[in-house]
Amino acid sequence: MENDYSIPTAPIVTARFADYVQRDGQSHGMNLRYTFPPYPVGWVPRETLHGYVEGNDPVSGAPLMEEMLFALTQPLTEVEKHPQILKRPERPRLLEPATEADLHRLFLESGWTDGLPIVLPTEERVEEMLTGTDRDPQEIIGMMSVTTHEERLQYTVERVAVNAVMAGAKPEHLPVILAVAATGQPSMPSSTTSWGSMMMVNGPIRDEIGMNYGGAALSPFNYANAVIGRTWTLMSINFGDARLGTTFTASTGHTANYNNMCCAENEENSVWKPFNVRKGAKVGESSVSLFRGWNVLTMGIGPAQRMLNTMKGLSPFGGSFTFVIDPLVAKSLKREEGYDDPMELSKWLVEKMESRFMRPEMVNFIVVGGETNPMWVISDFMYNRTAPINPWIPKAGIRKDEQPLRMPVEVACSEGSCGISH
Amino acid sequence: MSKKEESMMVLDPRGQPSGIFGRRTEAGDIFGGDILNPDIQPKISIDALEGLMMAPRLDSLEGKTVYLVNTGFAGGKEFMEELQEWFTKNRPEIKTELRNKQTSMFSDEPELWKEIRENGDAAIIGVGG
Repeated sequence: MENDYSIPTAPIVTARFADYVQRDGQSHGMNLRYTFPPYPVGWVPRETLHGYVEGNDPVSGAPLMEEMLFALTQPLTEVEKHPQILKRPERPRLLEPATEADLHRLFLESGWTDGLPIVLPTEERVEEMLTGTDRDPQEIIGMMSVTTHEERLQYTVERVAVNAVMAGAKPEHLPVILAVAATGQPSMPSSTTSWGSMMMVNGPIRDEIGMNYGGAALSPFNYANAVIGRTWTLMSINFGDARLGTTFTASTGHTANYNNMCCAENEENSVWKPFNVRKGAKVGESSVSLFRGWNVLTMGIGPAQRMLNTMKGLSPFGGSFTFVIDPLVAKSLKREEGYDDPMELSKWLVEKMESRFMRPEMVNFIVVGGETNPMWVISDFMYNRTAPINPWIPKAGIRKDEQPLRMPVEVACSEGSCGISH
Repeated sequence: MSKKEESMMVLDPRGQPSGIFGRRTEAGDIFGGDILNPDIQPKISIDALEGLMMAPRLDSLEGKTVYLVNTGFAGGKEFMEELQEWFTKNRPEIKTELRNKQTSMFSDEPELWKEIRENGDAAIIGVGG
């Protein structure tokens, strides 16, 4: 409005965001003439709003309306006439040398971690991590911001490897991590509504790096799931520039932000085509699919009609649903109800929902779980994209340690001889 | 010197400034979802940002028209209605026009901005947050 239409404008933002928009003004070189009423403005009685308008700006202490009129009529200052952007300095490749304890403190106190202990990214460790891909370490592969408007930070393959080391990952995990990084998609976009994300891997790489897609795949029983998911969080912090109270505005936050529900699809026990193939990947290709939303809403057991009944009782903010279903559910839906393709089920559900806004693509199904119960969980996550992993895999194949680290897996005892082992 | 006291060097984990900023989405993005898609989100360079200027201010608002624009956050409509009542009661010489944005708070709405330019003299926009 100010620049494009030459209209003097008085923007109003609640006092809760006064620091946020003033810092934003510094980074954008234009400190608009804000007026800050008290907060909240939403869901308060009309007389409260009346009081805000008749009262003072709690930030400046001045009468709110006087301030607003001042913003429209007081001539521009010299600073306002000549906006300047406070440019951010380039980051160094190496930090100043310090002891291990001091470096751990530096990373934690600088807000470069998720609060859990990290592995310090020494040159040796990062070099080792980079053996997980053939790509040039200095290749810039993306840019990211958790905000919608702030400066994007760009990153190289090497900086991705740094964050992978910090998360405790190994070179074998790097191709998946690079595939996620290259999307430029933060796992926790900044919103007062507190976003969460989910990531799911398809294709041969799942087994090569030992991901869990069976029993309790979403629980902390698998090394690859844990460190890959965590790296996405660290990248969102360090590339997406997530800084609490500065760029990150979530009100409650989200526990999924710790590991982003990282899992793989149980293709072996699914009766449907793999999810990535349904989204356009070739059969046998490895891909990672990203989802975003707010909540896992509830669980259920049983057929399509029960799914529909549950959906009707929910009103997700974004209008999308992603079902995480045990393979037993997929088998039943195919065998008992004839759904050879889950898109047919999505179409049926959307038709029965009788919503003007819903489309079949907004209802997705992924097959995860260990067949201990024909159950599903329903989330308000929306499908975001499927990113190819193969371009990040070395020509010689996944770079694995001689003895890859693996956590205990579910005991598979087909002949019934294993019994209880402890 | 014990190992704990030895200095070590580590790499910086943070991304580099790119000089590229995000900006509001195009008018066609009714629901504002494109703002979260890095592939299609409109962007602006730091050089272009530096060239943006604030509009000259008015000498007085007497006899002028001020548009009150509700961007769509919760309570914005009611707050703007209160503002309009305040103007009617306290500054009747200033004409106000209240408009609710038809697109999301993240999206451009050039038709509305054109209307304000053609028929108005100033704007009060909110309520953010």
